[in-house]
Amino acid sequence: MNSAMPPLTRRDFLRRSGIGFGMLGLAGLCGPQTANAITTRGPHFAPKAKRVIHFFLNGGPSHVDTFDPKPALLKYAGKPLPQTLLTERKTGAAFPSPFKFERSGQSGIEVSELFAKTAQHIDDIAVIRSMQAQVPNHEPSLMLMNCGDSIQTRPSLGSWLMYGLGTENQNLPGFVAMCPGGSPIKGAENWQSAFLPGAYQGTYVDSQHTTVDRLIENIRSSHAAPEAQRRQLDLLRTLNQAHRRERLDPRLDARIESFELAFRMQTEAADAFDVSREPQHVRDLYGSGVHGRQTLIARRLLERGVRFVQLWHGAGQPWDNHEKIEENHRKLSAELDQPIAALLGDLKSRGMLEDTLVIWGGEFGRTPTVEMSGSTSKLGRDHNHYGFSVWMAGGGIKGGTIHGSTDEFGFAAVENPVSVHDLHATILHLMGLDHERLTYRYSGRDFRLTDVEGNVVKEILA
Amino acid sequence: MKRWSIHLVPTALFLSATAQAAEVNGIVFFESKIRPLLIERCVECHGEKKHKGDLRLDSRAAWQKGGESGAVITPGDPEASLLIKAVRYADKDLQMPPKRQLAPEEIATLEQWVKMGAPDPRDANAPAPSKSVDFVEGRKQWAFQPVGHPQPPNFAPEPSNGHELDRFVFARLREARLQASAPADRRTLIRRVTFDLLGLPPTAEEVDAFVRDKTPDAFAKVVDRLLGSPHYGEHWARHWLDVARYSDTKGYVYAREEKQFVHAWPYRDWVVRALNDDMPYDRFLLLQLAADQVEPAASPHLAAMGFLTLGRRFLGVTHDIIDDRIDVVLRTTQALTVACARCHDHKFDPISTRDYYALYGVFQSCAEALVPCSAAKNEELTALLNKNRELITKRREEQMARTHSRMSDYLDAQSALEKYPKEGFDQILEANDLNPFIVHHFTSWLKKGGITAGEVKAMSPSDLDRLFAGIDSPVHVPDEHIANIEMYFPTNITTELWKAQGEVDRYLLQTASAPAYATVLQDRPLPTTPRVFKRGNPLTKGEEVPRRFLQVLAGDQPQPFVNGSGRLELAQAIIAPGNPLTARVMVNRVWMQHFGRGLITTPSDFGKRAEPPSHPELLDWLARRFMDEGWSLKSLHRRILLSATYQQSSLASAATKAQELDPDNRLLWRMNTHRLSFEEMRDAWLAATEELDLHVGGKPAELFASGNVRRTLYARVDREHLPTVMRTFDFANPDLTIPQRNDTIVPQQALFGLNHPFLAARAKAVMRRIGDTDDAGRVRRLYELLFQRKPTSAEMDAALAFVQPESPAPAKREKPNAWQYGYGEWDEVAGRMKSFTALPLFNGTAWQGGEEWPDKKLGWAQLTARGGHPGNDQSHAVARRWVAPQDGSYAIASTLIHEPAAGDGIRAFISHSGRGLLRSTTLHHSTAALNVEAMPLSAGDTLDFVVDIRDGLNSDQFVWSPKIFIVASGGSGGDDAPSWDAQKDFAGPNSAPLSLWQQLAQTLMLTNEFVFVD
Repeated sequence: MNSAMPPLTRRDFLRRSGIGFGMLGLAGLCGPQTANAITTRGPHFAPKAKRVIHFFLNGGPSHVDTFDPKPALLKYAGKPLPQTLLTERKTGAAFPSPFKFERSGQSGIEVSELFAKTAQHIDDIAVIRSMQAQVPNHEPSLMLMNCGDSIQTRPSLGSWLMYGLGTENQNLPGFVAMCPGGSPIKGAENWQSAFLPGAYQGTYVDSQHTTVDRLIENIRSSHAAPEAQRRQLDLLRTLNQAHRRERLDPRLDARIESFELAFRMQTEAADAFDVSREPQHVRDLYGSGVHGRQTLIARRLLERGVRFVQLWHGAGQPWDNHEKIEENHRKLSAELDQPIAALLGDLKSRGMLEDTLVIWGGEFGRTPTVEMSGSTSKLGRDHNHYGFSVWMAGGGIKGGTIHGSTDEFGFAAVENPVSVHDLHATILHLMGLDHERLTYRYSGRDFRLTDVEGNVVKEILA
Repeated sequence: MKRWSIHLVPTALFLSATAQAAEVNGIVFFESKIRPLLIERCVECHGEKKHKGDLRLDSRAAWQKGGESGAVITPGDPEASLLIKAVRYADKDLQMPPKRQLAPEEIATLEQWVKMGAPDPRDANAPAPSKSVDFVEGRKQWAFQPVGHPQPPNFAPEPSNGHELDRFVFARLREARLQASAPADRRTLIRRVTFDLLGLPPTAEEVDAFVRDKTPDAFAKVVDRLLGSPHYGEHWARHWLDVARYSDTKGYVYAREEKQFVHAWPYRDWVVRALNDDMPYDRFLLLQLAADQVEPAASPHLAAMGFLTLGRRFLGVTHDIIDDRIDVVLRTTQALTVACARCHDHKFDPISTRDYYALYGVFQSCAEALVPCSAAKNEELTALLNKNRELITKRREEQMARTHSRMSDYLDAQSALEKYPKEGFDQILEANDLNPFIVHHFTSWLKKGGITAGEVKAMSPSDLDRLFAGIDSPVHVPDEHIANIEMYFPTNITTELWKAQGEVDRYLLQTASAPAYATVLQDRPLPTTPRVFKRGNPLTKGEEVPRRFLQVLAGDQPQPFVNGSGRLELAQAIIAPGNPLTARVMVNRVWMQHFGRGLITTPSDFGKRAEPPSHPELLDWLARRFMDEGWSLKSLHRRILLSATYQQSSLASAATKAQELDPDNRLLWRMNTHRLSFEEMRDAWLAATEELDLHVGGKPAELFASGNVRRTLYARVDREHLPTVMRTFDFANPDLTIPQRNDTIVPQQALFGLNHPFLAARAKAVMRRIGDTDDAGRVRRLYELLFQRKPTSAEMDAALAFVQPESPAPAKREKPNAWQYGYGEWDEVAGRMKSFTALPLFNGTAWQGGEEWPDKKLGWAQLTARGGHPGNDQSHAVARRWVAPQDGSYAIASTLIHEPAAGDGIRAFISHSGRGLLRSTTLHHSTAALNVEAMPLSAGDTLDFVVDIRDGLNSDQFVWSPKIFIVASGGSGGDDAPSWDAQKDFAGPNSAPLSLWQQLAQTLMLTNEFVFVD
């Protein structure tokens, strides 16, 4: 952080301009024309990507079984590796991937059969094989990946994007976190706004539901038809305008406007979340499962100007395969591979891939060694924060790239290690935001998503 | 660069009366044009990180000093300025920025700026970088100066009622050639002050009485009445709970541990009581920091220490728990951001890392303990506590023996410390593993004793025994609550001990007669002398510091704390009358609540980057009076509320001179309007319908549990699952100390108002309350209940027009909601439910036992639109009940699906109230059609669709949404005959459509007049 000259934040401006702290909400959230909600704000520089979709494989997908082939493990199959690093649990011998890897695309990057369909798009993808987190435990690593700090209460990436850029569609929530069937571990903390205003937090959607009123809280009235609401809103406006006349507070106007926005939101959100409006061939492309549906909903949201959509695989931590990884990873990837491939293809054909950033990853990877229960192999892998893979595609990404590498067994990142702060700095950069200048004053400090760290990974930029 | 284009309002009002427009314009110009340009194009190389050519452009002092080539800016003379030369690219050897030239208009902007004299305000925020904190300089900051004894200016124009406070405000207004607004009218005033003190609206009768009271002290009487109300403490407690980061739950903890705090609500109620009793503020703080040292055992005041112990658990990482305590104490009482000094000296304020770790040592020398805070005895609880205590003693002794037996391994481990990660890196440990925490404990113990592992190993067994006998030895496991010592044990033992503690906790939480308990801090027998963690890393320890108070306040030779942990001394240093911050900070918080903004706008940060007070002398005068009058908050309220400043009108037209000169109203030429907080709004809705349950204190309840009509203060604050509605309405984030809530207006708030069943239910309730009377009478009564006034004739007309249907509603066949959702036990002999009890909570998508699912009492019992889940045993079958609305012949069509392969499946039954069992099946991993063809029913007959768990609770979720048709009825059958679809009809309570009158009531409840207080 530049202490000698703190970057001016919006809040500084408001403070210095005499628009006080108490008014931040209004002034901070309201654009000049609409005086309401979270309007678009300019980035620091021209962005490469305007929106983000993040596939979060919660629990931790195994990199050595997906995007980081390690043939050397075969040599040691059943034998201890020269060095085994400390993780949460005890692991034993080397455990070669049970999955086949194949080269794809012009770039010839190897991807395992688990993501064979996704691999068809490998030339649009940059695989970071040298990610590192801080500890081998889910909770802190989820917080680090989502909020940039393992322990302290900090705003999530999506909240920072909302704060920095606003939304492009006021009739929809700008930051949506979908998870079928419940919440991931740590629940709403994964999309929290912390000290940023509550309006920047992610809107949680349980995507196992199919009707809009189950998907979004309070989006429909069960006690008044739209025509009745329209009459109510007309009366409300009349009364509020009379009340407004001798008063100065601009919040009064903002609140009047917020009801009109809410009314429009009801229609627009219903439309956005309704995948039955898609032609059959598109629905077939994404597949009929819940992951196909939530990915298709996500595309409809992105198309309508939603800034950040995070798609969680499921409640709890489905990818946490301490045992029987072959069976479990195969089942999970089968749910995800088709929707991801469909999305990449669909975005491309709509011309949206060039300014949509697609991110794939979990909170960490898994050990190349097998997890033990006493002296018995569990045929699974433990958590591994020393090295794992994350990939990105689309807006501003140099496709067909591999960045960094892990050691010959895939235990730890050795070449060009990328920290989660680096990843965040890169994502913000692609969105037109300088991670050192995107700050928010709280508790006497100018906080950043990347704390005092983070370097943009230039090598994967187009 | 939209970010920079926010319109700047001149800050001239804060400069002296003769402030020159030019200076203001210069600064505005700098802020809007120059600063962004410098940041964007120059500071990367000429800033803090790099200073190429030894030149920095990130502060005025820095560019004045110049770089290798000397001065770069000659104010007023662009031609003579090296900077301008460089950006023009005129000289081939001096082209800046080197990569890409600035745009012509940017160069012109810089030229213009230099011509203006290069105005640059960047010095207040840019202290010279220094290696150590300059306390002498730091103490010059106004906040560290002693509280003065200012006298009110000798100036008191109308409409002052001779109140001294007004003389400060009005004199300041006069300097700015402004004047105060006229007094607010009586109705406005009583509404304002009632919300302000109680968080509730006045009743129409109270308004009426005040409007008619012509005595000169009418308002003072109202203030006294309100200050005497038990609801005053409730409302103001919530303000304190915001800064105390109050939560009823711990936040994310591992599943082994009870998630709810047992001592949260006793703390909340203690705050309410303390405020109602007007407990002196110094004592209020003392008890919250050190009640354990000034109160006897079982004192109710021990509950006060929840202030320290209600923070997040940070997955048990000690350093973060302590950091949270330092942060909450110092920001709340001193408005100092001491936690900034955890990794490095504070960048702006005179607070060093030594200060931080001096306080760290205080809290590190304390342990959490669960203690009774009432004298009540309870044998059941005593038995549980004893059992828990025996277990923990046994496990501690075993662990000590285990460590002792592995002593040489622990000593050997000292040469391979990298294998033993620090706290926060959780490993699953088995009994035979070396425990990393104990390994590090050995490390610091050896270092403190000044001996090496090798030397210890060489000692004789008897020497060793003596050495390791002490309670400071790394072999020792302290006799403390599991929360303090969980890292000493193998994982399965920690789990076991937490589960045992959980039994105690759940007893306290769930037993109505359980006595109140407090979680306090207690001094450990051997206090720790803290060491600075370099860059905040506990594994790289630096110098030792004594436990003591902040150097900036305690003087350059701060006395070490000598009494135990020093926590009591810390409390005494905070409440000492000579402390310049404590009174100012609290006076400012109170002021902020009354006026919407503090005299200092950053109520928990009085540091260098805070804006100076708008009325410094007034602040000191109030702070001085506050202390002189025994730290009485009620006297402080009275002083403020009885002033003409407070009683001004908030109304104003946009065209006034005041609005032009001071749009932000920093000088208080009018009152600020107040938008109701979420709590005030919900309470006001419930008050208007006369449903509000006003009893004070007690355990929390789920916000939207049906039948919860208590004040919102008592809604459960679950920091892990705070209801979205509360976040949407800017409720204080319970993870962080929140000095002032955000104030946002977003459409999600409007969606709540329009669509959430809560408000619809209030609209129905208020119309029920009004009852039958003529239309105009109803409108009048609505206005009285909601706004405590009569409607104007225009309002009356609009309301009456609204309730006239535009066209006669089509005569739709009314289909009342025929479904009910309950649970009970299936009676095999009778072929029907033994009982049917309604499921208590509708969460928006499901009927179930409570907000949390599974519920503590009703387990997994749940009914959704499509199906559900039976409760955990056969006495908790779930039942969807349908009530026949009229006589007729009916048919049932339904498909029951039990999907999972796991478990033993479910039993399902359809029964009729009279005839008993109609259909039944036992289903596992398959599908069954359960249909009934034509069957005569009488109005009021019920059909129950029942599912239980069969024999075992495992994967019992099912899909079952029956449809019911009229086959023939007393009327006509045919296509438009009504039918019922469990899925489509599925609904929560109060889902019947609103009548026009109810719609009117809801609309009025959503008006700005209702939500804003003038």
